[in-house]
Amino acid sequence: MWTGIMVPLRQELMVTLILFLLLFIKVGASEYRTGTILRLVNILLLANLVLGFFPCPDATLFNGMFHTGRLIVLEKNILNLGTLIVSLLAYDWLKEHRQALEFYMLLLATLTGFFFMISSGNLLMFYLGLELSTIPLTALSGFDLEKKQSSEAALKFIISSAFSSALLLFGISLLYGATGSLGFDAIPRRLDGSAFQLFAFILLLSGFAFKISVVPFHLWTADVYEGSPVAVTAYLSVISKGAVFFIFIQALYTVFRPLAGNWNRMLILLSVLTMLTGNLFALRQNNLKRLLAFSSITQSGFILAGITGSSRAGDASVIYFILIYIFSNLGAFGVVSLISAQTGRENIDDYKGLYAANPLLSWVMAISLFSLAGIPPTAGFFGKFFLLMAGAGRGNYVFIGIAALNMVIALYYYLRVIKAIFMDSQPQPIGKLKIPLLPNIAFGLCVAGILVTGVMGWVYDYIYSLSIGF
Amino acid sequence: MNQIPLSHILFVSTALFFIGMYGLFTRRNMITMLMAVELILNSVNINFIAFNKYLYPEKLEGVFFSLFIIAIAAAEAAVAIAIIINLYRNLHSIDVEAADEMKF
Amino acid sequence: MGSSSLIVLFFAGVAFAAGGIAAARFFVKGTKNRQKGEAYECGIPTSGTPWNQFSIGYYLYALIFLIFDVELVFMYPWAVAVRRIGMPALVEIVIFLFILFMGFLYAHKKGALKWM
Repeated sequence: MWTGIMVPLRQELMVTLILFLLLFIKVGASEYRTGTILRLVNILLLANLVLGFFPCPDATLFNGMFHTGRLIVLEKNILNLGTLIVSLLAYDWLKEHRQALEFYMLLLATLTGFFFMISSGNLLMFYLGLELSTIPLTALSGFDLEKKQSSEAALKFIISSAFSSALLLFGISLLYGATGSLGFDAIPRRLDGSAFQLFAFILLLSGFAFKISVVPFHLWTADVYEGSPVAVTAYLSVISKGAVFFIFIQALYTVFRPLAGNWNRMLILLSVLTMLTGNLFALRQNNLKRLLAFSSITQSGFILAGITGSSRAGDASVIYFILIYIFSNLGAFGVVSLISAQTGRENIDDYKGLYAANPLLSWVMAISLFSLAGIPPTAGFFGKFFLLMAGAGRGNYVFIGIAALNMVIALYYYLRVIKAIFMDSQPQPIGKLKIPLLPNIAFGLCVAGILVTGVMGWVYDYIYSLSIGF
Repeated sequence: MNQIPLSHILFVSTALFFIGMYGLFTRRNMITMLMAVELILNSVNINFIAFNKYLYPEKLEGVFFSLFIIAIAAAEAAVAIAIIINLYRNLHSIDVEAADEMKF
Repeated sequence: MGSSSLIVLFFAGVAFAAGGIAAARFFVKGTKNRQKGEAYECGIPTSGTPWNQFSIGYYLYALIFLIFDVELVFMYPWAVAVRRIGMPALVEIVIFLFILFMGFLYAHKKGALKWM
């Protein structure tokens, strides 16, 4: 009986074990060296990532509350990989931090929450997973306790996320009233598209839209991204967003399949709005973190465009894009994080002439930004290409045209940063920076991921063979 | 004894939902905003219990969902108040307007 | 019991309370002084206003109490079902309590329970 539970739950159990190990150290040990523990945690996270690659049977546990399969294990592996990279990048910042262990406890708690959320087969489990991840995340974004901006970001984040989960819950309660069930397998049988059910669905959709910062609900994003510590921002922008997208697409493609005609049109509208607004606000930003925040809003719009395809290609392209997005966004945030930790400078003007003293950082930044913009040799191009192809599968060529136009607008502000790094100069450029070993490994992973993932076709083929659609 | 019809209870819960939403958008005190969110969560609880009792009395899914909502609302309130206390230490105010370091 | 008896009960209650107060007004010769207007606090004279500020530490106790208090709500459904489920339920509640206890230990270690 126990192995039947342990094997499908192995990733969750592993993450929880690491969390409790840290808790034991914190409670039991009177003296510990932060640097040693950080290295230990990174090794354990690597073990966790490796553990995920062992084959796992499809399973449904706890009366359908929890289910897992090859696709879900793959999604969890992607999240594990992203968390490992974030953890490597955060090493420099955490080494000096008094509460480094708490950072990992909260981080791993959110990761457990995401895992349970992705695996949920029931709205109750989904809600629990979502809150298990959201509440520690808000605490994380206020992790620089002495900084005004950080606590302000945490406040904005918790008020808006509490509000969004309240909306989501109200939607769930109405859905329960309309269908009489909370299970993902029972709900679609009772969905008929009545006005009441549509109202419940719209509330649910707006709850989701908050979490993935889609445009009418994006207002918290820029402030939270700017105020939080950079490592947390990186985690928020890729892992949190990726996990919510995974469950969002599952929910749309399986639970809300009977309402496909309705949500398809809503998503197209939201996607166009998101891309345009994200781009237009990104054009006028000078703080690099804020620019990346608006760029991540724009990327959400592109992912929504892929989802509207509502086919297997839609699912596969979204997962593939999130994998690439993890590499490219973490590369960019890693450079910002390193420079911000060592010099405290975050504006685009501060990056002028970066290439002269730090060619390695400049190239990592440039490759990541090229990938975010979707320029051909990088993987970002293939990710966007598959997303738009999936979106075009339904024949909405006008919509896809708008999306392609937005890629061109986005190119402008990415190139602005690259121009500042490589071509401009300033009186006091950033001096030569030391890159510690662990962030160096993370940069290597990111650049390799960006350059290789796009060229290796089997990655997409493998994801496609697992994905769902109709 | 005649029961109160379901629609009356739903009316109360919907009213509570919109009162909470109104409070969230108009109040400028952080603690009051938090209270407004709690109002919305309580309206959800009423919804769940009412649906469970009136429409689907054979299973207890709704009741259990509301138990979990209560627990999570407590956790959320604890973290939110901790954040507000920390913000108060930095800003010496719990007015939302005071938290305006970052703008467009 | 119909609704008419409720109405009768309501009026009887109001009459009982209001009658007592009115009778007291009528019979007692009132003396008013400052000491009489004070709140009765075990005979000790009151000092200060009730609106003074408390230490923020009290809120921390309240928060910790709130969390552990609310978590116990899950014990009630467990207590109803434990006899039917048997051993697995016992194991699960031990895990649950263990996690709560670790949280408590952490709070203790951080000094959140120290009286100030």
